[in-house]
Amino acid sequence: MIEGRVHDVRFHRYDGPRSGRLAALWSMTRWSALRALGAKRGWKAKIIPIALTLVAFFPVLIVLGLRALFASSINDNLATVLPYSDYAGIVGLVILVFAVVVTPELLCPDRRDGTLALYFATAISRTDYVVGKVLAALLPLMLVTVLPPAILYAGNVLFATHPLGYVQEHTHDIPRIVAAGTAMALFFAFVGLAIASLTGRRAFAIGGYLAFLIVPTIVGGILSNNIEHGENLRLIAVAAVPIHVAESLYPVTPDPGDPSNTAWVMSWLALIAVSALVLVWRFRGDES
Amino acid sequence: MVDVTASEQPLIEAAGVTKRFGEVTALDDVSTSVTSPALGLLGANGAGKSTFMKSMLGLVTPDSGQVRVLGMDAAHQAREIRRMLGYMPENMCLPMGMTARDFIVHMGELRGLPRRVAVLRASEVLFQVGLEEERSRLIRTFSIGMKQRTNLAQAIVHSPSLVILDEPTNGLDPAGREEMLALVRRLSAELGIAVIMSSHVLEDIVRTCDAVVVLRQGRVAATRTLADSSAASEREARVVVSGDTAAFVARLQAAGITATVRDDHVLVSGPDADTMLRAVRDAAADMDAGLRELRPAGPTLEDELIGDLS
Repeated sequence: MIEGRVHDVRFHRYDGPRSGRLAALWSMTRWSALRALGAKRGWKAKIIPIALTLVAFFPVLIVLGLRALFASSINDNLATVLPYSDYAGIVGLVILVFAVVVTPELLCPDRRDGTLALYFATAISRTDYVVGKVLAALLPLMLVTVLPPAILYAGNVLFATHPLGYVQEHTHDIPRIVAAGTAMALFFAFVGLAIASLTGRRAFAIGGYLAFLIVPTIVGGILSNNIEHGENLRLIAVAAVPIHVAESLYPVTPDPGDPSNTAWVMSWLALIAVSALVLVWRFRGDES
Repeated sequence: MVDVTASEQPLIEAAGVTKRFGEVTALDDVSTSVTSPALGLLGANGAGKSTFMKSMLGLVTPDSGQVRVLGMDAAHQAREIRRMLGYMPENMCLPMGMTARDFIVHMGELRGLPRRVAVLRASEVLFQVGLEEERSRLIRTFSIGMKQRTNLAQAIVHSPSLVILDEPTNGLDPAGREEMLALVRRLSAELGIAVIMSSHVLEDIVRTCDAVVVLRQGRVAATRTLADSSAASEREARVVVSGDTAAFVARLQAAGITATVRDDHVLVSGPDADTMLRAVRDAAADMDAGLRELRPAGPTLEDELIGDLS
């Protein structure tokens, strides 16, 4: 016997509970983050974010794979091959490209398609919208800035000769991993969103983002190498700012030719503050 | 949820609302109060319809005056109002890269529906607007009519008490316009959702609304109840017959219809339009007289509204 089911799809009035502002904000964040990663979109939109995520995990997977495959005799040597403090520097370029791909997708389509007018006519305000988009940028970015070193830490614990001893010895690395990853994610999220907020065209946002990060980095590198006592000119290297801030959270002796950690952190703060102001400026409006 | 279609709660109360954009006065001392379940805002382009609608949603803050929507102050309770209202903007503002279903679910969530409810209601409203077969297609592949219907679906997905439609027939071909007008009429007539609809097309308002506020250069030119106006204008007719006019009038009077001979025509009036027209038809047939002219005696509703607009 063939069983069927009848669905009543007539319009019904809804008198049930309604969620508040936080639920609406979370909806904005969740949908935006998923779509930026290619979810609910065609396969072409999925390839680049997935590939870059895999590349970001690649060093961790190699190290942990080798430790799993080879004898415990070389395990201790492999444990120090990829220090947590070096992770930001090693995959910094991948994170930059990931941010270039993800952040324009969060804002440009809304401006291009005029969807902002519709969103602001719902329960969410302009402030909620911006907060939701910042969170939507942070979550995917933290996938590649926090998760890989966190997995490396878990793997190191697992493969250590004395796991409990490793945890006791490296307890301070847990907050450092989270803080370093969050610092990177905050930087790329705010800067990426600020640039994306200036245009409705994704291609322009990507071009602008790359130009903003790469051109000053090249100029800063050339100037600092050719001008005597010009080490502070390295601060112009915008792309290097989050990496240095992430590294400064670990007890690593900085390069004598580099600006101080404080200078890097101030530069990081200034860039995030300016980006936040750009976002506020772009989404201000006559709205209660 | 408030059933505003069945209550005397005013949908909109505006008192002395003025809004200027630089040198341009978009709304100039607008005052009105409307209880009809379907209200039309009629006016030429630039008359202030969209600004008035945005002030209802709290998207535009008036320079002076107050707008109350469903009893709430639009300037201070904008968030609460927007949760209860649906809004269909004038311009196309749909995310082209999303499917209709995903978009409607997303808008439902943004308007306060729990996720599971939003998914169910998205199916319901897409069925109601005739897009159930296309729900999984990207919006960019839709025709203009389908996009407008998607736009309407997002406005009603959260079961609002009141839906604000800004020029919903814009850009539609005749068939699409017919479908949209039928959908709009259904909202207040069958689904229990009060409607405020703007248009610069008189016929759109007459066919879908119970009352109309005519805006002209930012001011309220007239407020009319359409049912009463049209009934009044249809109860009287101006008739010209070939043959014995006096006998025709006598036959009408015998049928209980008021008929008076004027210069070149007969002025006929009855208790309602149907009775009056049936009596005219029967009298003409009985007298074997030709009906040379039969039209409303006074200015029609359209004549009055056009007068208000100009």
